[in-house]
Amino acid sequence: MWSLIKRWWHKIQVRRKPWTEHSYIALDIETSGLDPANDQILAIAWVEVTPPVINYTSGRYYLIKHDKTDLKQSPVIHGLVKKDFIETSELCDVMQALSVTMCNKILICHHIQLDWRFLKQAAKSCDIQLAPLALFDTLGFEANRLKRQQHHIERGSLTLSACRTRYGLPEYDAHHAFSDAVGCAELMLAQAYKYAGSEKSSII
Amino acid sequence: MQPEFTEVQRFLIDCPPFDELTGEQRQWVAQNIKAAYLNEHNVDALFKQHSPALYIVRSGGFDLLAPDGHLIERLESHDLFGFPSLLSGRPVVNKLKVIEDGIIYIVSADMFDKLRQNVRAFEQYFIRAHGQRLLSEVARRSTPGRGEATVNADATGSGKAAVNIDATNNRNSDDLTDITAASASRPAVAEKSPGYDTLELTLAEVINREPVTVSSTASIREAAQVMRDKKVSSVMVTGAVQGRHPEEGADLGLHPTSSKLFGILTDRDLRNRVIAQGLSYDIQVNAVMTQAPATVYGRQTLMDALTLMTQHNIHHLPVLDDNDQPIGMITNTDLMRQQRSEPVMLISAINKAETREQLITEARHIPAYMQTFAARVHDTTMVGRLLASLTDSMTRKLISLYEQDHGVAPGTYCWIAFGSQGREDQVLSSDQDNGLLLGNGLNEQQLEWFKGLGEYVCTGLNECGIPLCPGDIMASNPDCRRTLDGWLDRFQTWTTSPTPKALMYCQIFFDSRMVHGNKRLYQRYRDEVARLGKNEFFLGNLARLQVSVQVPLGLFNRFRGTESGKDSDLINIKRYGIALINDIVRIYSLQAGLTVPQTLQRLEQLRGSNLLNRKDNQSLAEAWQFLTQLRLQHQLDIWGTDKPKNALDPDELSTLTRRQLKTAFRIIKDCQQGVGLKFGRIG
Repeated sequence: MWSLIKRWWHKIQVRRKPWTEHSYIALDIETSGLDPANDQILAIAWVEVTPPVINYTSGRYYLIKHDKTDLKQSPVIHGLVKKDFIETSELCDVMQALSVTMCNKILICHHIQLDWRFLKQAAKSCDIQLAPLALFDTLGFEANRLKRQQHHIERGSLTLSACRTRYGLPEYDAHHAFSDAVGCAELMLAQAYKYAGSEKSSII
Repeated sequence: MQPEFTEVQRFLIDCPPFDELTGEQRQWVAQNIKAAYLNEHNVDALFKQHSPALYIVRSGGFDLLAPDGHLIERLESHDLFGFPSLLSGRPVVNKLKVIEDGIIYIVSADMFDKLRQNVRAFEQYFIRAHGQRLLSEVARRSTPGRGEATVNADATGSGKAAVNIDATNNRNSDDLTDITAASASRPAVAEKSPGYDTLELTLAEVINREPVTVSSTASIREAAQVMRDKKVSSVMVTGAVQGRHPEEGADLGLHPTSSKLFGILTDRDLRNRVIAQGLSYDIQVNAVMTQAPATVYGRQTLMDALTLMTQHNIHHLPVLDDNDQPIGMITNTDLMRQQRSEPVMLISAINKAETREQLITEARHIPAYMQTFAARVHDTTMVGRLLASLTDSMTRKLISLYEQDHGVAPGTYCWIAFGSQGREDQVLSSDQDNGLLLGNGLNEQQLEWFKGLGEYVCTGLNECGIPLCPGDIMASNPDCRRTLDGWLDRFQTWTTSPTPKALMYCQIFFDSRMVHGNKRLYQRYRDEVARLGKNEFFLGNLARLQVSVQVPLGLFNRFRGTESGKDSDLINIKRYGIALINDIVRIYSLQAGLTVPQTLQRLEQLRGSNLLNRKDNQSLAEAWQFLTQLRLQHQLDIWGTDKPKNALDPDELSTLTRRQLKTAFRIIKDCQQGVGLKFGRIG
């Protein structure tokens, strides 16, 4: 009980630090569908961010081993085909590595609800705890920002690539998990520097 | 596991010198770099933390400022900065100001050092970029098929405050580098056909027999015997120099590897000057040899020999080493054998044409042939020289055809090439620029003969594919057909009361070369013209005119289109590049009283001049070569279309070529300012 309170207090304290003093992990997953209960994680990629730097050495990309790889809609979306699954990793090994990396970092995704649900499901199945300091959704941030500015949000204007374009970030080939993770990291930096004002403010 | 970083790798391939790395090395770079989101809030802290390092702009815009705050360059995607301090450890002066937030990649000092140690081309690139390149590298030719390789170096940056990463204020040294690599290679063309044209071989590589020489005091008979025994059609006549002992065959006056070249003696000389004249075979060869013949050096190319032979209409050229010792003889037969080649064949076909129609038929082959030749050679200046040689040959042939029909010339005269033919930087679309220089005191009838010659040759050249000059600078125009006094009067008027139009016009006439005629007459003319050209008042006006033409760089050193209408984004690299360099070099040459017309040769002769420092001299030569090359490549690319021949779209150029083009324009801009300062105040 005491340790739980201590952890909670610690979290409150660190969250008060300026956003630039936190560490982040930008992550993207590719799945065989949209339902965490039935669909599988096919690939997972992440990269660590210590503002304003994205450290490529920390970049990771794993294809997940499955008994029967189900590629319902994925080949279209992710360009993944069976032959890409030659060098695969056990889901639980990857979740273990992720859990270590994620500890005390803020998790960044584009449309984080979906990724987070998949991650929690996977962690549960492996009996692993994922304890990010907080979550940051680049899509949610952008949607709120546009709403606040009373923009009508057009269809397709919240995709990762559309959001990046608004911040003048370079075009990447979408839908490779690692490119998307890096793209998401850059987007988060652009959003934070642009709208969080000075480095002292907190974005979470 | 680590991802493959495809995005970063793809970017690096287009970002020299990272294109020099193997795929594996690029992967290693991608795995180890850092990316940073740069904005005005973090620029200082970021550089303080990471420098020294190499920075690559991925997106956004940043201004590189000198310590006094003036803008050196706007850095955009693909630009590099920060490396000079990695190489030199020098303190930093320049500052970086964020114009538009963006991503930059950081290559740490450790990584940079590893790459330098493992990839020579990578290291070379930065050393050159840093301006510490050895001078000898300038002249060195590139290896065949090698792509472009250099960087824009002055891109250095720093925090916008006093925190700095790096600095190179030394623009010139960096520029040199940029251009050199460019001038040394021509990627797209080189890839099409990796082989050299044999005309690019040096004479030393080609000559494969010992020089055959006789002493100048040997008798004609002895010389003829040597020629017979050695089975040669010509022999070099040398004089003994102190300390040398005649070796075996001394009784024949034979010095196998001897001393100073006095002259040459050919089969034809024996026939024309000895037998036909009924001279005794016992007199010494020095009485009948050709004295002080034209010579070439072993380090020069077959093209040099070919040019010299066509220009002087000679078939034998002694080749000397750098100590002026004869190392062999090159003949037009050698050239043909070496080359099996179209240039020589073409020139000889032109020379052999017996009628105007035959000549025109041969000339029709030129454009197609020049296409393949241009794509094959690595030294672009050869194209202009070959075209000039061909035009010279056609001109001479037309003159001799005219003489066949109208009798020989009624007085001494010279056919003169002006402008690009004079400078030997002709391209296929270049039009005629020529004139006639006549001896003084000709009567009406004699002038009529020359009028006919001018018209005959100019229309003939037109039919051979050299378009008539829209400005009417042609020997068919009475204005360009003048006696020595007539020409000098004209130059006198230009130089003493220079109107802007006259100035622009007369510059063409200062780039002249004799194609045919009386050498002495031409030399007198040229010396007098050189004397008039030194007029300070005239040079002052010329300088002010030149400085008024701006290079196509706009605000922030961005390209500015030079054309109008639908081509408004295009840049005319002839008018705003090559021609501006020609102008700058011409004004220094006029001041120095030089009489050679070729821009590169002028620069060579200007070396050591007090007015034009060595660095600028070299920069101008390299910029000129780069632009000439770029123009040639462009013309090859658009051949057969109706696209502009001298204007190109900067957006279609590779990252590196764009950087180099900017550098070339900056060199021109700086040198224009120099001209303005040195000459513009006078008069």
